Amino acid sequence: MQLSRRAFLASSLAALSIPTWASSMPIEAQGELFFSAFSKSKTEHFIGAFGSHGKLLWSMPLPDRAHAPVVHPTHSVVGAVARRPGFYMDFFNPFTGQAIQRIEPLAEHHFYGHAVFSQDGTRLITQENHFPTGAGKVVVRAWPEGQVLNEYSSGGIGPHESVLLTPDTLVIANGGLRTHPDNDREIMNLDSMSPNVTFLSLSDGSVINQAQHEPSLHQLSIRHLDVNAQGVVALGFQYQGELWDKVPLVALASVDSDALEYLDMPEHVRARFKQYCGSVCFDKSGKTLAISTPRGGFVAYWDVPTRAFLGVDNCRDVCGLVATNKKDQFVLTSGTGKQLISTPRTQNISQLNQLADIHWDNHLRRIDINI
Amino acid sequence: MSMTKKALTATAALLAASSAFANQWDDTLEQMQSQYIVPKYESFSSSANALADATATLCAAPNSANLATAKQAFNDNLAHWQQVQWLNFGPVTYFMRYYAYEYWPDKKGVTQRQLRTLSMDPSTMTTPKFWTSASIAVRGMTAIESLLYHGDFNVIRKPSDCEVLEAISRHHAQTTHDVLTQWQQSKATDWIFPEEGSTESAEHLVVELLVQQWLEHMSVVKDAKLETPIGYKGQPNLKLAEFYRSEQSLPAIETNLKAYRTLYHLGQPSLFDTAMAEQPELAQALEAALADNVKLALQLPKDYFTGQYTQAERVEMAKPLVQSISNSQTQLTNLVTSMGFQIGFNSRDGD
Repeated sequence: MQLSRRAFLASSLAALSIPTWASSMPIEAQGELFFSAFSKSKTEHFIGAFGSHGKLLWSMPLPDRAHAPVVHPTHSVVGAVARRPGFYMDFFNPFTGQAIQRIEPLAEHHFYGHAVFSQDGTRLITQENHFPTGAGKVVVRAWPEGQVLNEYSSGGIGPHESVLLTPDTLVIANGGLRTHPDNDREIMNLDSMSPNVTFLSLSDGSVINQAQHEPSLHQLSIRHLDVNAQGVVALGFQYQGELWDKVPLVALASVDSDALEYLDMPEHVRARFKQYCGSVCFDKSGKTLAISTPRGGFVAYWDVPTRAFLGVDNCRDVCGLVATNKKDQFVLTSGTGKQLISTPRTQNISQLNQLADIHWDNHLRRIDINI
Repeated sequence: MSMTKKALTATAALLAASSAFANQWDDTLEQMQSQYIVPKYESFSSSANALADATATLCAAPNSANLATAKQAFNDNLAHWQQVQWLNFGPVTYFMRYYAYEYWPDKKGVTQRQLRTLSMDPSTMTTPKFWTSASIAVRGMTAIESLLYHGDFNVIRKPSDCEVLEAISRHHAQTTHDVLTQWQQSKATDWIFPEEGSTESAEHLVVELLVQQWLEHMSVVKDAKLETPIGYKGQPNLKLAEFYRSEQSLPAIETNLKAYRTLYHLGQPSLFDTAMAEQPELAQALEAALADNVKLALQLPKDYFTGQYTQAERVEMAKPLVQSISNSQTQLTNLVTSMGFQIGFNSRDGD
């Protein structure tokens, strides 16, 4: 089915409650679909989808390297958010191959590689950097029109990833790093950076709560996060200090937290992280937490109720991580093109597929089509 | 020949080729270990022992001659370290040994501060488990250099300073001996973490990791050892140069760059041999880049880091070497990726 842009927008606006993901699904992809950006070379970048057997079902070229996909909650719309400093967000219907929309950041702003739809799919929420001042922003746009509805302070510098805690509460990982697109890998505030996790009201932009490290850990950038059904927020860090410093790399928080609760792990595992967490992900039950580290080449797991460390799955250059619809089960993707499925509590891991010449990018998203 | 026979012959040839290819990495890796890693660690361990002995002699008879001998032993040991510094893999990655060898750059003077504390009561260093909990800032060569060369310490006139020096030197020698022993008693493939569904041989994965280490070290040489202290892109701070007190900053770079060439040609077949068979143009380009690195480093004046040069003069002198190292990073990346090695996609992203 090929819809014109006008027809698609009209149908979207008219029938937001109808899950078009399900009605549009090809037979071979029934069940679930996984989305990720990927690259084939330094100049060939894509967004793509694969099914539960790992076969690539759809892909679209992108103008530049993307970081994370953003998936509409009800309609067959997936977006690719450009890698920091990002200047585009391209949306597609993966079943028609149609390019739906390109969203660009506010003037003198760039994206951070992540975005999220509101729970009802009527708003698109992005994190942006006002690079002349370094102010972190949360920008709320109407979907699919793209008009800016609200522009809030993110509560810090360098808002990287955000997730919805409730329909009205956004949790933001303010990484603390001030950068400028003219030299985007240079950190301009290494000595003064102050990352935090901010709970923000989407109604009025007010800060509901914030939690941060003690001052001696101010270079511990809070970059990625996930939230489970119990309202527990998991946080993965990227340390900007020395490789040899013994710093915590994973923590939990909640909307009531006045401090971060760091998770323990064996020191030899912590050292293997190389001070760098990639993706953060709870399983379906919210009781198993997975954190990937591409620099360490593994995914580490914790039991959330007891905070106990469970173990690791080794995988070179792994970063993409998403929960399946079964408890304690994750799908992993790597820069070497691998797709793995893991059940860490039973220590079962197997390879779904490995796609030659594909480098799966940092983040993986999944939709369940059996809505 | 029928199509079936042709297909079988082709398949057999392919299998033979891939088998030979796999064996090739087996041999290359085995020789990297037996002809480079182990012998270089033997040298490093031997000179660490000599350093420990020299500091013991110095503390027993503190005088200028014995201090000069200890300093020379330190410089010898440092030169051996620079040959294996690129290899942050295997035994050295355990117990923070790699970072304890060299606590650098020590931007906040942690080493001096902790050494002063230890010198107030060196007997604490003989307590059980002292070294298992000791800060990495006082476990290796950065601390030894401070005690031998920093003006705050006087190992001739102050016995407690010398006592600290002797204890650290002995610990450093023991650590190096332990790393050597582990390399002697293991295979390089013992030190990787196997992953599910890997289609590459363990030898391939180790060579891949070694290449990644090599690439990372090239960045350290260019950025941390050369650009940062001279203010190539910002403010100069020569105290950030590696081992600047012992004036070993430039010799360290020269040794590193020479080690790269040795690595490239190590074994039969060497990485260079295999590259020449598969990608002759890229192989030659890397060969030329590595040779240029050494030539350009040797052209820098001996007092490059210590002489009375302005920032602009140092930057101007460094430009050809910086560009050459950068070029060799590109050439190495192009070569190894064309040979099927993964140098990291997400792991080099930083976001």
